[in-house]
Amino acid sequence: MAARVLAVDDSPTILEMIKAILEAGGYEVITAADGAEALETARSEKPDLILLDVMLPKLDGYRVCRLLKFDQKYKSIPIIMLTAKTEEQSMATGIRTGANQYLTKPVEPDTLLSAVAEELAKVQG
Amino acid sequence: MNGEGLAKDLTLEEFSRFRDFIHSTSGIFLEDGKLDSLRISLVTRATRLGYPAFDDYYRLLVQDEREFNELMNLVTINETSFFRFPQQFDALKSQVLPEIMSGKTQSNRAIRIWSAGCSTGEEPYSLGMACADAGIQGLGWKPQILGTDVSTKALALAKKATYGKRAMLNVSKDVLARHFEPAADQYAVAPHIRGIVDFGYHNLIKEPYPLSLMGNWDIIFCRNVTIYFKMESTKRVVSNFYNSLNEGGYLFIGHSETLSSITDLFEVVEVGGVYLYRKPRAKRMFAITPKPRFSAGTPVSPARETSSPVRPARKPAARHAAEQDSPVAAVAGNPDLVTQARLCLEQGHPDQVIEIVARILLSDPNNAEAHLLSAYVYADSGDYPQALEACHRALAINPLLPVARYILGIIHQRQGDPVRAISELKKTIYIEADFALAHLNLANIYKAQRKWDTAAREYENALRALYKSPEGSWTEFLGGFKVDLLAKTCERSLLECRKAMGVA
Repeated sequence: MAARVLAVDDSPTILEMIKAILEAGGYEVITAADGAEALETARSEKPDLILLDVMLPKLDGYRVCRLLKFDQKYKSIPIIMLTAKTEEQSMATGIRTGANQYLTKPVEPDTLLSAVAEELAKVQG
Repeated sequence: MNGEGLAKDLTLEEFSRFRDFIHSTSGIFLEDGKLDSLRISLVTRATRLGYPAFDDYYRLLVQDEREFNELMNLVTINETSFFRFPQQFDALKSQVLPEIMSGKTQSNRAIRIWSAGCSTGEEPYSLGMACADAGIQGLGWKPQILGTDVSTKALALAKKATYGKRAMLNVSKDVLARHFEPAADQYAVAPHIRGIVDFGYHNLIKEPYPLSLMGNWDIIFCRNVTIYFKMESTKRVVSNFYNSLNEGGYLFIGHSETLSSITDLFEVVEVGGVYLYRKPRAKRMFAITPKPRFSAGTPVSPARETSSPVRPARKPAARHAAEQDSPVAAVAGNPDLVTQARLCLEQGHPDQVIEIVARILLSDPNNAEAHLLSAYVYADSGDYPQALEACHRALAINPLLPVARYILGIIHQRQGDPVRAISELKKTIYIEADFALAHLNLANIYKAQRKWDTAAREYENALRALYKSPEGSWTEFLGGFKVDLLAKTCERSLLECRKAMGVA
């Protein structure tokens, strides 16, 4: 069965792009447009991996990531954070919040796919 | 408030004099309605400093800036509003809630917060809003907030949940839109917040606390405890809070308060400039610890980092009681898998235990011992649902396994369910009368319930069992502690119970 990826971004165009890339890579993709929706979708859909934008309405990506990583029920879901530009500060925060990987937007399709594959391989052993 | 020698009534002239001074010094103008709040604050400060009259206190006030600040802390504390000291609510959302969540098992989704001394309800409702904004409900968490106060008048207003402009000082437009509804010229707390907040009458200095308040709190807010009560009462109140909190739970006190001269039981934690008090986590349930001396020919990888935030280091000298009959020799030749799993457990490699158990169960799904081993590991790592399942599987194969009953008892105890814990521990003893740790845990539960005589009897039973069979099957749960230490613990607690009963 195809692995299910939850992509979270408040920009519909970016979401569509990510969706297209991942679906081409053979993944099932579900989406959420803000932090609160991301958490609810994580709970209801139990994705295998989450692609999380940093700048999100309601709850920012760091907080979403932190909540998931601090929850015994969800902490094993790998999280890849996406952000608009490389900032050391945000990188550090991303790592502290427990994100598994950190990618800079715009992300190359190959980079995204290999990051996703890498994280899924780690969990699926 | 104790104000012997000091007139407790403030005349209007005296009130105006203090008001004008406060106004000219701080710019804060206290309306006539604040007379009561100012009076309480003045009586508190003047009494603490030993002044016989407000006049004398006034003279100090005009020349001592620090005293002025002390007074103002009090005057403004009597005023409640939403999100008072917003930094504390930020700390709650960013740090405390995630940490509390991480300490819970997958099946326990309740987060219990007690707002002690909640006055007219602004604080518990603010806590409800903070929980809602933290997003945790999206993940299925259920915050439960209780506000208690001694003023039934204040509680009635709290339940009404409508507030004037004054209370809304720290409420942003966003929060207002999300969590309030307009009500005439006031603001009503929205139903989704009211639904997670409850109120009840409670006097903090009246002991013992009702059972409903004792225990199982994740967070307690009491933000003027050291200011309202005298030292002795404060100590009692804080000690009751300590006992009521779960391990890893947090106590929030006023931002200008400190517990430094009151208790050293808590860990002080700084979050974004806010000082919080955390109840330390005890050592893990069965304390699986690496045993460096063993290095048999079993596959051993470095111990995986555990998620337990506080894990006291144990001296290598503190050793397992059953170490003498170590299975090393048996394993060296033809390793039987159960023995191998036991060895991994002793060496502190719980992940390998699970792997080996899985291999055993593949060929022999009815191996009760294997189920027990995994129950032990899961319980120790805090994964209670898995541990419970493994225990029940073991018991389905053999219902007379004292260790399985014991693990069940301990898990129920940890989950704050003394009734079930007592039932399982009693079953443990029924199967193995000399299971000393079962007696001890039973005794501890009864002691917490202040059933002194029953507790004393169980401590005595524990001691008897210890002396009778110091090598019982329960020794594997000692986690390296010596039997004589256990005996001392029993003796000390027994003495406490007898004192409480008035017979020692």
